[in-house]
Amino acid sequence: MLMVLFPTVMLLPTIWLSPSTQLWTSALAYSVAIALISLSWLCFPMETGWSSVNTFIATDPLSTPLLVLTCWLLPLMILASQNHMAEEPINRQRTYISLLISLQIFLILAFGATEMIMFYIMFEATLIPTLIIITRWGNQTERLNAGVYFLFYTLAGSLPLLVALLLLQNSTGSLSFLTTQLFPPLQLHTEASKFWWAGCMLAFLVKMPLYGAHLWLPKAHVEAPIAGSMILAAVLLKLGGYGMMRIIIILDPLTKQLSYPFIILALWGVVMTGSICLRQTDLKSLIAYSSVSHMGLVAAGILIQTPWGFTGALILMIAHGLTSSALFCLANTNYERTHSRTMLLARGLQMVLPLLATWWFMFTLANLALPPLPNLMGELMIITSLFNWSNWTLLLTGAGTLITASYSLHMFLTTQRGPTTSPILAIEPTHTREHLLMTLHLLPLLLLIFKPTLIWGWAL
Amino acid sequence: MADYKAAPLASLPKTLDPNEYFNLSPEHRRAEEARAAVRANLKRQYQVQLNNPHRKELVDDPALTRWVYARANPYPHFRATKKTSLMGAMFGVFPLFFFYYVFKTDRDRKEEQIKAGTLVRKFNLTS
Repeated sequence: MLMVLFPTVMLLPTIWLSPSTQLWTSALAYSVAIALISLSWLCFPMETGWSSVNTFIATDPLSTPLLVLTCWLLPLMILASQNHMAEEPINRQRTYISLLISLQIFLILAFGATEMIMFYIMFEATLIPTLIIITRWGNQTERLNAGVYFLFYTLAGSLPLLVALLLLQNSTGSLSFLTTQLFPPLQLHTEASKFWWAGCMLAFLVKMPLYGAHLWLPKAHVEAPIAGSMILAAVLLKLGGYGMMRIIIILDPLTKQLSYPFIILALWGVVMTGSICLRQTDLKSLIAYSSVSHMGLVAAGILIQTPWGFTGALILMIAHGLTSSALFCLANTNYERTHSRTMLLARGLQMVLPLLATWWFMFTLANLALPPLPNLMGELMIITSLFNWSNWTLLLTGAGTLITASYSLHMFLTTQRGPTTSPILAIEPTHTREHLLMTLHLLPLLLLIFKPTLIWGWAL
Repeated sequence: MADYKAAPLASLPKTLDPNEYFNLSPEHRRAEEARAAVRANLKRQYQVQLNNPHRKELVDDPALTRWVYARANPYPHFRATKKTSLMGAMFGVFPLFFFYYVFKTDRDRKEEQIKAGTLVRKFNLTS
């Protein structure tokens, strides 16, 4: 664990002391090295479940896939930001990369935390670099509104969690994940316990986001620059899922009655946000709403507390992280050329940029959960376990799958196929950097087809 | 303005062709000519921008910008009418209660069967 944490912290002085010609190259090279070191976490030799244990941070099969995803994403974010940051003064470029690295440090500490208060502090700490990235480097005036929505929705959801954790510490004496899983069941019979349960869950449900509290997500994703969108879609949403999976272990048996409204909101959200995707004019907004849709499935999978539900949720989180981040990178290639996110302006791109069309095709297919990609495995496990929980959920999940397929195809056909708009012809060709970015997104996804046990957590 | 002729990129509209419409007043004709002149000017501006060899960005269309902004910001113009309230209730409120009722009754039935031991599990999810 420290093997990855110390180099990441040391990246900060590296960025500030590198000469300006080598800034992006050294940032990229060192973050790739860190990402490759982080792959060593993927072997789980310990029978107890927890590996790389020290007093404060440890990894287990639940947090390891998310940690590796976080470390993998940093070089991808640096690669994606290189173009639009090129015109800024050198110190602002350094600040931008430092914000990305500090986000990385907080995320590693959050996913590796063994103590719930440390997880909470890191959960909140990730908000600040993300807020600065969105409000300072976003491209439209709406970015201020987006930053406010993002910050206050997440804060308002997570302050009850602080109170709930302190109450838990008072009553049980320890908040370490290693020991809470071994507690005797908590005595949760009063009315106040229901509020305590809601306090524990609300922060993560807002972060995931759940359908009723999802308003911050389209704003934040659309207004953020590309690295902000990538880290938001790929990792920050998964913080909510990870927190829910950790804390739901001690919330039994209240969860069986109290989770119904949230399961229903999550499933109805899959259908509703999928339908909204079909009406979107803004490309990034479409991808953001598709994130809400997939995360609704994840939330429902976690709330029913079955082994397949947890496994499916974790696999879908990892696969969706890679797919969504790649789709935002593709939308960014459009944006860098036309400086507009309107889908109607950039149609028929297959004629103009045919190699990029291949990437669009592959990631559209990943988004609609094509077999044998892990997206399908995650979705299928969640849908099956939901069906086992109650046969009627199939109405919502089946409709959700249909709608996901239709908006993914709508996105692909509008941007790639059809007549090319005549003003489009004067755009620059695809850079090798962009092809490399897409390859690095697709490679883990393809490799995970062959060994999904790496990302399916401790439930199976 | 009376002899407005057709140009290569701006065709003469039917209302200005003297052979087609012979019962229109001269004021109407003049208004039509003014409108045709504005349209032809817009077409000329678009063609100049489109065929500019040094152009690197998209041709700016203010109507498209307005339309995209309107599609993205309906909230200040929202009014609670009978139709919008009905839509909100049908898609936002009623399904939540409906599905709560459906899932709760189904799950309670299943839990009773599990407690009584009568649930037939034909397929095992995990072995």
